[in-house]
Amino acid sequence: MIEAILFTLSLGGICGLALSVASKVFYVYEDPRIARVENLLAGANCGGCGYAGCSAAAEAVVNEEAPPNVCILIGPESVAAIAGIMGSEAGTAESYKSFNNCKGGSRATDRFIYQGLNRCSAVNALYGGKHDCHIGCLGFGDCVRACKFDALEIGPNGYPIVDKGKCVGCGACERVCPKSIIEVRTMSQRLLHLNTEDDALAPCQQTCPAEIDIPQYISHIREGRYDSAVDTIRERNPLLLACGRVCPHPCEEYCRRAIEDDDAVSINQLKRFVADVEMNSGRRLPISSAPDTGKRVAVIGGGPAGLSCAYFLRRVGHSVNIFEAMPKLGGMLRYGIPEYRLPKAVLDWEIEGILNLGIDHHTNVRMGVDFDLGSLVGAGFDAIFMGVGAWKDYKLKIPGEDLKGCFTGISFLSRMGNQEHVDIGRRAAVIGGGNTAIDCVRTLIRMGVEKVYLVYRRTRKEMPANEVEIVAAEHEGVEFVFLAAPNKVIGDDEGNVTGLEYLKMELGEPDASGRRRPVPVEGSETVLDVDMIITAIGQSPDTTFRTPGTRMDELNITRWDTIDVDPDTCRSNVPYIFAAGDGATGPALVVDAIGGGRRAARGIDLFLKGKPVTAQPRALLSKRHIPESLFTDVGGVGKSVRTPMPELPVQERIKTFVEADLVIAEPDANTEANRCLNCCRLCYDPDKGADKPDSLNAA
Amino acid sequence: MAKTIGQEFVKGLWEEIPPFRLVLGLCPTLAVTKSVENGIGMGLATTFVLVCANILVSLLSGVIPSKIRIACFIIIIATFVTVVELMMQAYAYQLFQNLGIFIPLIVVNCIVLGRSEAFASKNKVVPSFADGLGIGIGFTISLTVISAVRESLGTGKIMGNQLFGSSFEPFSFMVEAPGAFICLGLLLCVMNMVSSK
Amino acid sequence: MGDYTVLIISSILINNIVLAQYLGICPFIGTSKKMETATGMAGAVVFVMTLAAIITWTIDTYFLKTLNIEFLRTISFILVIASLVQFVEMFLKKSIPALYAGLGIFLPLITTNCAVMGVCLINIKEEYSFLQALVSSISYAVGFGLALILFAGIRERVILGRVPRPLQDTSIGLITAGMLALVFIGFKGLV
Repeated sequence: MIEAILFTLSLGGICGLALSVASKVFYVYEDPRIARVENLLAGANCGGCGYAGCSAAAEAVVNEEAPPNVCILIGPESVAAIAGIMGSEAGTAESYKSFNNCKGGSRATDRFIYQGLNRCSAVNALYGGKHDCHIGCLGFGDCVRACKFDALEIGPNGYPIVDKGKCVGCGACERVCPKSIIEVRTMSQRLLHLNTEDDALAPCQQTCPAEIDIPQYISHIREGRYDSAVDTIRERNPLLLACGRVCPHPCEEYCRRAIEDDDAVSINQLKRFVADVEMNSGRRLPISSAPDTGKRVAVIGGGPAGLSCAYFLRRVGHSVNIFEAMPKLGGMLRYGIPEYRLPKAVLDWEIEGILNLGIDHHTNVRMGVDFDLGSLVGAGFDAIFMGVGAWKDYKLKIPGEDLKGCFTGISFLSRMGNQEHVDIGRRAAVIGGGNTAIDCVRTLIRMGVEKVYLVYRRTRKEMPANEVEIVAAEHEGVEFVFLAAPNKVIGDDEGNVTGLEYLKMELGEPDASGRRRPVPVEGSETVLDVDMIITAIGQSPDTTFRTPGTRMDELNITRWDTIDVDPDTCRSNVPYIFAAGDGATGPALVVDAIGGGRRAARGIDLFLKGKPVTAQPRALLSKRHIPESLFTDVGGVGKSVRTPMPELPVQERIKTFVEADLVIAEPDANTEANRCLNCCRLCYDPDKGADKPDSLNAA
Repeated sequence: MAKTIGQEFVKGLWEEIPPFRLVLGLCPTLAVTKSVENGIGMGLATTFVLVCANILVSLLSGVIPSKIRIACFIIIIATFVTVVELMMQAYAYQLFQNLGIFIPLIVVNCIVLGRSEAFASKNKVVPSFADGLGIGIGFTISLTVISAVRESLGTGKIMGNQLFGSSFEPFSFMVEAPGAFICLGLLLCVMNMVSSK
Repeated sequence: MGDYTVLIISSILINNIVLAQYLGICPFIGTSKKMETATGMAGAVVFVMTLAAIITWTIDTYFLKTLNIEFLRTISFILVIASLVQFVEMFLKKSIPALYAGLGIFLPLITTNCAVMGVCLINIKEEYSFLQALVSSISYAVGFGLALILFAGIRERVILGRVPRPLQDTSIGLITAGMLALVFIGFKGLV
């Protein structure tokens, strides 16, 4: 009896001692949450969960590989407690949600179901994923079976639909999906994800500089879910009202219908349609933000790049201050784009929505004058984004350029935008062939100038301005003077402009840009009788923000005066300075600046979280496409006519600055949305042709 | 968790009946179900350990530090297993011989540890008792059902009584190991079919 | 030597611990869904089973039997196994992280693996000598690993099949295990 007691005690003592010594000696740091989760698990080490013991299961839970209810022994309270540790607790972490990335075309189901396979994993294993759509959803619903929370179902179009309310982000669906169509991501991960080569991307989405999920929002419009459409656009572009009006929509060139030699879907009109629906509803859709990270970012410049960067940084939880040199936010959207294209009221409403996320802003403060890099760093900003734009007009460098009545494009437009008084003439000439020049001529027409010339040294074909804008200017009565190179400005004794002398040109050999170089014709000087001249031949960034003798001197500037940044991360050579938009790329589209702002936000986020600021693997930088997605012909695309854009009659619109382009009506939007082929890379069924996507059959 | 004592008891009989609903404790389920007698014996031994361990764990749950609770539970269970072992040696030696090492192995039966951790450590004595008894009896019923199927098909007898006519050729496969696996698999399938309706 | 050959063959194949002795079924079903997990588990079992068998044999022979307190066998064995597993886990985690990454996470599962405890008890019951105990426990562990890896290989294929809903998962797993056990019965003629 005594032996028994002694033996038990000594054995217990030895074991206890050995273990407690071992736990000190062999201590290894691990995530404290693992111990907390393990404490809540049953501790029976039964293996019923499929993991090797409770600590392995706890680790899997903490690494987001297993759901909180992984243990088959514990009750609902423990599950809730684990879920609490894993981030449902306010302010500790973002919750994960499941997303389906396949927009669906025709499913593989029709072709493979007869093989007796009813599982995605089986089809994928046996056929290696080589069917109609080598990236899209197989539609057998492995994910639906995997979901323990009943949050997934196979929708009417044959691909899974997530019930966001039920999804707890356990990741079970992502693990079983053999095609990586279902992804479980936090909102931040989704917001900052850049297009990659292996994403399911329609050609239009590959082309959009802002990487908007175009087929997704169009399908939302088709289903009448306008709120969802707006949310989808806002995942990539916070300035949808503005873009819906001014974007030259490069996406439409790569619309599958356009590739098939049909009229492209009017993608941008649809964007404007849903954006206007939200604005006119008088209620703002809620925009959620991640919990605060406590990091602060200064955004220099409140233009599209700055607003976009600030918006994305705020949504992933950083605190943002915008510093703007002009009296109001908006940058070129406000000061470069005339009222008739983008009404200021609309822009104000949009910017207000962005600021409502909790973004501070300061206007009338110019970097290098009112504050500098030192004061920002001193104020405790962890990173700086430079979205300074390109506001310095190029000069013609011809005699008489400084006479009274001579303006430059951006300064003219920004003074108009600022509602300053500008002395205008009776007859005006605008020099240049870009969008700024067109904006100037159309503004002049509306201001009552009797005769407006547009002087361009090449021909209409080479004009870089958007075709629709050129056509509108033609309709509004602008006289185009092509193949004309200004030679000098003629003035009177009082220094007022009285005419513009130009040389006639003829087209010679093509130059580096592929455009035929204009060559002056000897002795062809001609004088245009004008009393006002606007030069709009391009812009470059204004680099006066570089206060001499400060760290700013180290910032690398290219020979085009743009800030030299890594195109993938938007980081400059100064580790905490990032830049995007016109100030980094030279003059480009609004939507380029928005995409750049988001890319910079990703770089800044990585930087603030102490991760290496590197390019996203296999990122698809804009203007590159996934080659196999751009085949020329899928066959069977039935032609259909594009809904025309409604606009004010010419006689009416040239008298006013009221918005010229109108929004399409709801039935038209619906028709147009139904023209979308629902592209998702190769998702077409060669047996059936692509003329009837599922939605059309349903409609 | 406003379940009555009765509900705590009843859930072990159907809702959470091991090893069908709670796929745990498979080893004894497969090993000892060659005959109904062994099955019932094993079931009752497990029930005893479950009930006693549940009661003691729920009594001591305030005292046991949470860091070493698993070790403590195992010691408590091991103690009762030893008690069962000694009792069976004294009063049911034949059964003890038949069950062999599976009696001491009740210690590592996940059902017992699982109930201690998941239920007894968080509940009062009476519900823990009811829970232990319910799960234990459920386990006994399962073992009885499985052993009845296996014994009747495998030997043609149940508890020594001839079941089928003399023309019946015993299905000796069923009392071997493969029969045990397949029998349990099919019973699980039947359970799934019944409960999905 | 002949005795040992017979011991090895019978422990691995004929009296296979899972398929003939019904031990360690829970981890056998639980960790066999993926080949990767199965190999890790198999390795960990070989490791722990050998160590546990040596230690429990020593304790039984030199303490329990000499002190005549065999009734403490169950309690002392489980205590030793549980402590051993935890000790080994902590040791590997700190000292040999590479091995821990491969096997370590499977160690806790072994605490309540009845195969380990079972083999220790079999060694005592059969009154093996130290060397016999060592050889038999290694062989049993190898047998467990063999069965587990074979089973995982089959299960990975079974997933591809069209299994009727009620039979899915554990149910079809058990039936598959039954088939495998049937195969192992064939080894009975070996000795």
